[in-house]
Amino acid sequence: MRIVILRRKKEIKYNAIISSCISVLFGIAIYLFILWLFNVNLVDAIVILGGSFISPTIVKDFLIICLIGCGLIISFKASIWNIGGEGQFYVAMIPGIILTLIVFNPEESNAGIPSVLVIILVIITGALAGAAWATIAGVLKAYMRVDEVPVTLILNYIAYYLLNYLVSGPLKGKKTYGYLRTDEIPGLYRLNIVLSTPQATSSFEGALYGFMTQVAYYLAVLIAVILVFTFIMWMFKYTKLGLYIKILGANPDYLLTSGANVKILTLCAMALSGSIVGLTGSLYLLVEWGRIPYGIQSHTPGYGYQAILASWLSMLDYRFLPVSAYLVAGLRNTGLSIKIAGLGDTEQSLIILGSFLLAYSITRFISDYEVKFEW
Amino acid sequence: MVEAYIDFFMRLSAAFATIYIVALGHSLFELSGLLNLSIDGMFFLSTGVAILLSAFLHTLLIPIGVNQLACTILATILTGLIMSLVGLSLAWILSVFPISQGAVGLSLMFLGYGLGIQAGYPVRLKYGSITQFTYPQTPSLYIVTISLSIITGVLIHRLLYSTPIGAMVRACGEDPHIASNLGAIVYKVRLFTGAIGYFLIGIGGSLFPLLWLRYWDIRSYALGYGWFAYTVALAAGRHPILLIPFALIFGGLLEFNIAIQASYGLPVDLAGMMPFIASIVLMMLYSSSKLRRSFEPPRSLGKIYYKEERTI
Amino acid sequence: MNNENYNNLILSINKLSKVFPGGIIALENVNLDLYSGEVVSILGENGSGKSTLVKILYGVYTPDSGEIKLRINNTMLKVHFSTPLDAMRHGIVLVNQVPQLIDRLSIAENLAITLSTLKIKSSVFSNIEYVSKMLRETAELLGVKIDPGEKVYNLTYTQKQFIELIRAIMVDAKIIMLDEALTYLPPIEKKKWYDLLKTLKNSGKTIVLITHKIHEALELSDRIVVLRKGRIVGVVNGNEATADRVRQLMFGESFNGNELIKQNNSNVNQHLEHEIVIENLYVSDDHGREILRDVNLNVKKGEIAGVVGVSGSGQRELIESIVGLRKPVRGKIKVAEVDVIHQGIKALRRSGVGFITDHPLKYCISSDNSIVENIALSCCPSGLILNWDLIEKKTREIIEEYNIQAESVNSPVKTLSGGNLMKVIIGRELERAKRVFIAYNPTRALDELSTVRVLNKLKSKARDEKVSVLIASDDADEVLSICDTLYVLSSGRLIGPFNPRNTPRERIEELMVT
Repeated sequence: MRIVILRRKKEIKYNAIISSCISVLFGIAIYLFILWLFNVNLVDAIVILGGSFISPTIVKDFLIICLIGCGLIISFKASIWNIGGEGQFYVAMIPGIILTLIVFNPEESNAGIPSVLVIILVIITGALAGAAWATIAGVLKAYMRVDEVPVTLILNYIAYYLLNYLVSGPLKGKKTYGYLRTDEIPGLYRLNIVLSTPQATSSFEGALYGFMTQVAYYLAVLIAVILVFTFIMWMFKYTKLGLYIKILGANPDYLLTSGANVKILTLCAMALSGSIVGLTGSLYLLVEWGRIPYGIQSHTPGYGYQAILASWLSMLDYRFLPVSAYLVAGLRNTGLSIKIAGLGDTEQSLIILGSFLLAYSITRFISDYEVKFEW
Repeated sequence: MVEAYIDFFMRLSAAFATIYIVALGHSLFELSGLLNLSIDGMFFLSTGVAILLSAFLHTLLIPIGVNQLACTILATILTGLIMSLVGLSLAWILSVFPISQGAVGLSLMFLGYGLGIQAGYPVRLKYGSITQFTYPQTPSLYIVTISLSIITGVLIHRLLYSTPIGAMVRACGEDPHIASNLGAIVYKVRLFTGAIGYFLIGIGGSLFPLLWLRYWDIRSYALGYGWFAYTVALAAGRHPILLIPFALIFGGLLEFNIAIQASYGLPVDLAGMMPFIASIVLMMLYSSSKLRRSFEPPRSLGKIYYKEERTI
Repeated sequence: MNNENYNNLILSINKLSKVFPGGIIALENVNLDLYSGEVVSILGENGSGKSTLVKILYGVYTPDSGEIKLRINNTMLKVHFSTPLDAMRHGIVLVNQVPQLIDRLSIAENLAITLSTLKIKSSVFSNIEYVSKMLRETAELLGVKIDPGEKVYNLTYTQKQFIELIRAIMVDAKIIMLDEALTYLPPIEKKKWYDLLKTLKNSGKTIVLITHKIHEALELSDRIVVLRKGRIVGVVNGNEATADRVRQLMFGESFNGNELIKQNNSNVNQHLEHEIVIENLYVSDDHGREILRDVNLNVKKGEIAGVVGVSGSGQRELIESIVGLRKPVRGKIKVAEVDVIHQGIKALRRSGVGFITDHPLKYCISSDNSIVENIALSCCPSGLILNWDLIEKKTREIIEEYNIQAESVNSPVKTLSGGNLMKVIIGRELERAKRVFIAYNPTRALDELSTVRVLNKLKSKARDEKVSVLIASDDADEVLSICDTLYVLSSGRLIGPFNPRNTPRERIEELMVT
């Protein structure tokens, strides 16, 4: 048998949707195959898989992955592979802790600054920190031609160690009952909203209240998702910068000959991308964590990596990002529920992430190429 | 005093052999034009598979009279063979289909982490310490390991620079279209480097828990040692002989990192960060200096090979 | 079919078709027979499907339909080549216009790949030394000296092509296909090749010569096959072929050589300001070797200057330096009052310079983006927000003016044919060229009619809008027909200026190769 691969002569309709669906199905197949290899009952696995998509816990993951995905797509569209979402996410938490616990700590030096201003400052400095962290890889790529993939990845490791160092040293908390972590951010700077719902009388009501509580709790993130989404859609449609980034991704040499400054644009794409990831990091600190624990590498939910999967599955199209983010959030929840050999969720999350990314990477080409088998 | 020297030699040679063999396999794989971004995940997978196999072979073969060294050697070779299969599949997929090598590499990196844990964790859970499954700590064994690593390097160098298959490997890395016009079957050449390259990655990966650290933990996946092999290969221009000094320096740095830092009183997390910063600095030096010109990466590294690409 | 003919039949192509993305028909129902001991020329314009045909025969492209039969053990058998190795195993070798050798490998290493995969006296694991020996022997038979250990990037174009021919001889090919392989050889070298090819033919080999140069086809063909738009439109026997007959077949009814504006350009003497000033320019090529030495060149307002040279004489590097894509070793370049070396492409574009470099798919267009996005990048007015209405209007104007065949302004550029794609580039760059237009082989991939239109447009740009034009080309015909002043690039030096109207063509060709 011979496999012949040829570029499609005509574009197929609903190209993006069809290829996404194929890669998701292929991803499920790879994952189930791996589970089967390790003697897991596939029926149970499929039940867990289905259940994960309707559990209220999906709300948080969905919103966070969606928001980071927005940031990553900017760099991906420019064909700059920002794999450093993890690092940018955590580095952005550093100014948040410094501002809320040291500079504007209401218990120590209340300068009478409204908490709203401090919160805005935390978010802005978080975005800037994320942007700066991402720009390191941007500078190396633009001015020294160093491949951004290993650099962004290595920067993730450095970010983990940096946070660990800060948490165990300069930012070590005073009221932590002996735990190695920072103090908790004062309540007036926290952004989570706790909703009290009546006692549920049916499972439907239970689920509904569950979702309502979750949405309220992460309302700040939801608002950020909507704002960032609108901004980015507008940017790509109507601004020169958006057009430049698209062409940078498709053919940087052409961008160069058209008179644009490719190096600066590379930095811009990385900085924008990192700033949105950073913004997510600071929101995550204000809403969810409230403090930074020691040993980030074992506490991280790995959103920076899952968002890569979400943006790829959306075929770098913002309109599909919510769908793919929902999918990835569901898969992440599956990973949390399937436990093999009495182990935690780590390896399942990694395997799911790997299987689906692999399925996507392999099947991606069908939208541009056709495969013929000749006997 | 002599013991201290022997200890130093053993630690350094274990670190060197691991980094060198992995970097050698990685270089061979990339010389044929296939980007190997999955290196870290695949390295970790090898460590997991190695201890699983070693534990299995020890419990199976020791009772029938096979000695510990033979069991461990067998585990190392089998790990190499298993990884070789991975390399074959990877090379096949990447050269037959027009798909992004970076994306596939990255996916396999995650998959490698996950599967590595899945393979190694049961052993860790069951036995706690894995020292009983590792290589014995006899100096002669380390001398043999070092010699074998260097001989392998020299052989690969000869293969690459004085045989037609070596010319083909480099031709595929430079321009697979031209290589094909000259008569090379690109995917077969890449299957060849995929199999051998990953065999070596598997061997090197197995030395990590079985010879160097004598320890395995699921957290090892967050150590990123595969990336150090990647950096070494990049800086040495993927040249089998030039890899030797780089692997020696980097291996030494990694092995004695903590000791060096402790003597300066630096916190452990900052010490852990140093090899990563060194990696980035090395990449910067390589890319912005004349090194890049002399050790230019293969021209088609990471590029999709599609036979019918159009031109005007 | 008579019996003797059939016995000499070596390859037979039946109803071969191939369509490329965007619905571009490269070949349509092509039938062709090849006999041993003949020279067949396949003649056609750029884009007529000649290269596609030989690439299918060499196992590079896969045909959509049709079959190929080859004489194997004295019977005609259906074959399918999925790689060049398959083709070579059956005695078919292709010599390309662009030498298919790996630059960073030595000559021996390059040839070792072919010989070992064909299992000629060696295997893939044997030592490369044996190839060096064989290579020296074969070269000696042909009367040349070769150092097998030399790296290919140190060779000249002519030497590289010669190595390719040696490769064909070493593997004892039955059918040698030359895809525009002679086109850019210096005339003296060409003569040598003609003799060599005749010797090969007399020893029973089949030579397939692919070219778009009519005189080249007439020189040594037993048969001339003319392709137009993917179809065979005529076969002429060598002894009956005349240039006119063949030209008529090649261009069909559409050809009308008189359309080109012949009017002299009166601008040249009126204006004295120099729009392009190049002084003492030294440039190195991709391998760091000096390819241009002490180049001096001035182009006045409204003047059309042409630079010709055989392929690889530095035209590409010259154009790249002038537009700021390549950093010269030293020298001064001033275009439209912009100091190119220090101010760069952006400043150049701002002062109204349009240009087309070599590798248009790489430097001049983004295939994945739509036509309108490609135009927007160059033609959008300053400001951060895009005015899509204005850009779309401009795009429609370009599509109309250059008669570009496209479904809509939003079609991705990759769905266009090579010629239409080139027209998008030319249209956009001429729109940008308010003061200066610089181009390398600007009419490549265009059919005869579009070529004439583009050249006329260039002329009127220079005459009416006082735009300075600099055209570099490997093709003397392209340049000679329109320029006011002519320069020749040879061995790294720029010779000229000449007046194309009173310099004989032979003189130019002679200069090109000295």
